[in-house]
Amino acid sequence: MLVKVLAFAGFREILGKERELSLNESVTVKELLAELAVATPRFKEAAFDESGALRDYVLLMINRKLIDSRQDLSRPLQEGDELAIFPPLAGG
Amino acid sequence: MIEITEKDFSLDEMIKRARSKDAGAIVTFLGTVRDDDGIERMEVEAFLEAAQAELEAIEEEARSRFSLRAVEVVHRTGSLAVGESIVAIVCSAGHREAAFSGCRYIIEELKKRAPLWKKEIGDKGERWVGRT
Repeated sequence: MLVKVLAFAGFREILGKERELSLNESVTVKELLAELAVATPRFKEAAFDESGALRDYVLLMINRKLIDSRQDLSRPLQEGDELAIFPPLAGG
Repeated sequence: MIEITEKDFSLDEMIKRARSKDAGAIVTFLGTVRDDDGIERMEVEAFLEAAQAELEAIEEEARSRFSLRAVEVVHRTGSLAVGESIVAIVCSAGHREAAFSGCRYIIEELKKRAPLWKKEIGDKGERWVGRT
C-alpha cells in the first residue's frame, strides 16, 4: 500500500518535503516513524529522545487532522493516508 | 477572504473589501518581522492546504461568535525582511467591541492552530521559532 509522508520546517530540512512510501502491509504510525529513523539518523536524533520515545515537540497529522502524538502512535495507517510531521506551530 | 501567499498585500485593499453600510467598526491587525537580537529576515513556511482549511474554520467561528460582517486574512510565506508584513487580519462589525474581539480571536487561534512556521535568520545563525 502507498502512504504519503509530508514534513515541514526543521523536519522538512531533514526528510524532504514529501515522499511516498510503498509498504508491504499495514503498519502503525509508530512503526513508520521507526522506519524513517533507521533510514535517516538525523531524523532519529531530532524526533526521538535517548530512551527511544518520541520527543514532545513532534506534532503529527493524519489526513490533515492532528493526532495525539502520545496515544495514537499505535494507529494503523491505511492505503492512501497522508502523515505530516512537524514541530510546534509558529505562525502569525 | 482567506489567503496564504508569497506576495505582499495591500491593507488598504483589505479594508476596502471589508467596508459595508451595516459595519460601524473595522479593526485591523498587522504582524511584522521584528528585529529580535540580530534577526535579519524570516522564512515563513506553511502546510498550505491544512493551513487554508484551518483559517477558514477560524473565520467561520469568529463570524458566528462575534457577528462579524466581513473577515479578511492574509498570511505570507517565503523570505521576509525585518519590518515586512507577515500577517494581516481585518474584521468589520456593527460595533467596535465585536470587531476588536473578532480580530483578537482570529490572531490568537491562528497562532495556536494554523500549521505555519517561522525560521529566524540573523548574524547568530538560524533557528525555527517555537522549537525547544
